[in-house]
Amino acid sequence: MNNFNPLIHSFPYLLRGAGMTVLMAATAAIPATVLGVVLALLQVFGNRILRASVIAYLLLVRGIPLLVLLTFAYYLLPLTGIDLPPFWGVVLVIACYYAAFMSEVFRAGILSLPQAQWDAARGLGMTRPLMLKIVILPQALRLAAPPYVSLCVSLVKATSLVSIVGLWELTMASREVVERTLAPFQVFIGAGAIYFCICYALALYGRHLERRVLHGH
Amino acid sequence: MADISSDASSTAIDVRPLARRPMLEISGVSKSFGATQVLCDVSLSVAPGEVVVVIGPSGSGKTTLLRCINLLEDYEEGTITVDGAPIGYRRRGSERIRMSERDIAAARATIGMVFQSFNLFPHMTVLRNIAAAPVRVKGAPRETAEARARELLAMVGLSDKAAEHPARLSGGQQQRVAIARALAMDPKIMLFDEVTSALDPELVGEVLAAMQQLAQGGMTMVVVTHEMSFARDIADRIVFIDGGVIVEQGKPDEILFAPRTNRVRAFLKRYNDRYRI
Ligand SMILES: Nc1ncnc2c1ncn2[C@@H]1O[C@H](COP(=O)(O)OP(=O)(O)O)[C@@H](O)[C@H]1O
Ligand SMILES: [Mg+2]
Repeated sequence: MNNFNPLIHSFPYLLRGAGMTVLMAATAAIPATVLGVVLALLQVFGNRILRASVIAYLLLVRGIPLLVLLTFAYYLLPLTGIDLPPFWGVVLVIACYYAAFMSEVFRAGILSLPQAQWDAARGLGMTRPLMLKIVILPQALRLAAPPYVSLCVSLVKATSLVSIVGLWELTMASREVVERTLAPFQVFIGAGAIYFCICYALALYGRHLERRVLHGH
Repeated sequence: MADISSDASSTAIDVRPLARRPMLEISGVSKSFGATQVLCDVSLSVAPGEVVVVIGPSGSGKTTLLRCINLLEDYEEGTITVDGAPIGYRRRGSERIRMSERDIAAARATIGMVFQSFNLFPHMTVLRNIAAAPVRVKGAPRETAEARARELLAMVGLSDKAAEHPARLSGGQQQRVAIARALAMDPKIMLFDEVTSALDPELVGEVLAAMQQLAQGGMTMVVVTHEMSFARDIADRIVFIDGGVIVEQGKPDEILFAPRTNRVRAFLKRYNDRYRI
């Protein structure tokens, strides 16, 4: 067990890295979700120009690896004169990237609601914004919850890429520890276990939501 | 009746004396789905408190007619008014002008509609299903709306279900909640589209009873149904529609027992053969 001493000694450091990972993921997930809902609504209800723009955006973003986008933004942002702290730049890129996937999940949720729900809401004299707010979105988001949680799991793991552009989080912390201790296997087993625990907890929550969706409310 | 439609076409708001003004007036409505014409120049006028039952073969346009009344379905020609107020289209001279979405929504709030498949909101409790629109559409205070919702639930015999979600109710119970939900908006007219067709036979009676009670209370109703004995009981007038046109209309006993046209006779014969009445 002596072999695991480097891991045990550096574990608190790794946990602080994990804290940063969770903070970054959560900070990115919130605007990603909001933007995802907006893009979904634009795609379902927007006029032709809006719909085409959204579709072009989705195609573009989903066709490029996140790592390429992060690196690109890393070089591009300073040139545009936008003075964004690296943390926020990275959060912005991850949010824009995941919004594209989330919007598809939300759109599927909206479209899978039966026409009858719209008819009932319209028949009661609801305007479209009101229908969306109290009838359509509450149901669509519930339907979308399980795949949405999968995307959040993927988002958490994707934050490991930001160490490439020099941001400190769990993966970066692990690499630092490896440089000091020269114990890559032990340290990365520890880092992997931490990632797994975060993602497994999220996935369990997703399963719980799925059961709630399947068995009514 | 011919002068009435030209009357209505000259002004947006009907100013005839109340007693003579129909609660629902459908004038010259035509509707196509693509190349198939589903309603051909349909005109129908329903007096306040009158119960009109619409019968006809499947695919004849009954559902489409009801859906046109509250503009769930758009139509190419004609106009419809409820209590003198246009729903969807106004006439200005010979011009037909579509109302704004906001005005259309407001107009729809005056029409109650009950669907074959109930269409309750599954994520809301029964009480919220009924009180949501009065609060959010009409701006009623929540307490008032919920008190009224409980009254309506009592009326349809479901006082103990206020806190349930629709999925926990039987079809007959869900349909009675749907009726209460429509009534909560204090509609001027109620539309029923085969509201018992999706129900197990033993649950039909409770829904028909609720409608019967409503009719006795003086509600103006347009009812599409295949329940002929119910139609006979509840209808002031039966309208037979086939191929998107009104073929025949009259008192229930005239239509059901002494139809003037072969199409109605053939329809009733098919119906009686099937149900052996
Ligand atoms: N959304 C639609 N799109 C195309 N055709 C439709 C649609 N709804 C109804 N129809 C057609 O219109 C006709 C009348 O339908 P409907 O009003 O539902 O008849 P009914 O209620 O009398 O059975 C049918 O031929 C049906 O196939
Ligand atoms: Mg029908």
